[in-house]
Amino acid sequence: MVDYLCDQAVEQEMAVACFYYDFASRGVQSPTNMLGSLLKQLLSGLGAIPGEIARKFRGQKKVIGGRRLRLPDVVKMLADVSSLQRTFICVDALDECVLKHRVEVLEALGEILLRSPNTRIFMTGRSHIRGVVERGLGGRATSVLIKPRDDNIVTYLRTRLKKDTTPEVMDSGLENDIMKSIPEEISESYVASGVRETFVSCTTLTGANVDSYWSHSRWTQS
Amino acid sequence: MSQAFANNINSFNVSIFNATDDEPKILAWLSPLEPQVRHQDICDQRVDGIGSWLLETKEFRSWYNGNENGETDHAALFCYGNPGVGKSHIWYERRSVRNQE
Repeated sequence: MVDYLCDQAVEQEMAVACFYYDFASRGVQSPTNMLGSLLKQLLSGLGAIPGEIARKFRGQKKVIGGRRLRLPDVVKMLADVSSLQRTFICVDALDECVLKHRVEVLEALGEILLRSPNTRIFMTGRSHIRGVVERGLGGRATSVLIKPRDDNIVTYLRTRLKKDTTPEVMDSGLENDIMKSIPEEISESYVASGVRETFVSCTTLTGANVDSYWSHSRWTQS
Repeated sequence: MSQAFANNINSFNVSIFNATDDEPKILAWLSPLEPQVRHQDICDQRVDGIGSWLLETKEFRSWYNGNENGETDHAALFCYGNPGVGKSHIWYERRSVRNQE
């Protein structure tokens, strides 16, 4: 999605900034750092630093070896910069943001939407945070359920088979089983784990060393 | 820079600071995080065409285009689903999108 928006941005006068939450990085992904990162991307696109931000930097540089901005300052600057042009903000895996930060981030994003009417926010996350997101943005969010489609699963499998790094443990029988069994049996809930389980069942069907094949492949790591 | 954009910046009441030397320091000061690294990882793993159906949904179109004035009641779009369904990898096929234009 980010690349789709970036392609549009190249042709039109608009800006795109993105952020990817990762639970393993929760220690550094504070709301200030996250929103500061979005601001940094937008400023890079502008090619100039607004005077207000430069003045804040020069002032903070004098104390404690360069004191960082507070969250309200970052939110205000981000809202101001977002309002300069049509802006898209993309936030991936919001469920991997720690709970107390998630509330703050949603509140900040809601404030940016209020102050910058031309801004659009695209977010992804697991189903259980849908209510929190919709409430946190005060009814300004609409939601779409993402689930794998049969044709997408087939396309994905064909692409990954072409990139197979252990073709020596693959044969036409196993490949046919994969292409037939996975789209039939896969749960719409878990693509990656579904693929893994179906691979295991193929061991019985074909006698191939699927575990060896699996251990060398990276199919489920994306 | 277009005139409209320049006017917008003036209305923001900022003087454009020629930060040739300070700009990298200011950007680093704003945040130490570099999400473009993760973005490149996602791009490398992506399969063209997966998730392109999203662009055809009324929710996406309304969010992206708004009404005739570009306004919308839903300025945020939340795509939700269970782990592994490809939320981070929603992609589109450049060729098919361009053909529709």
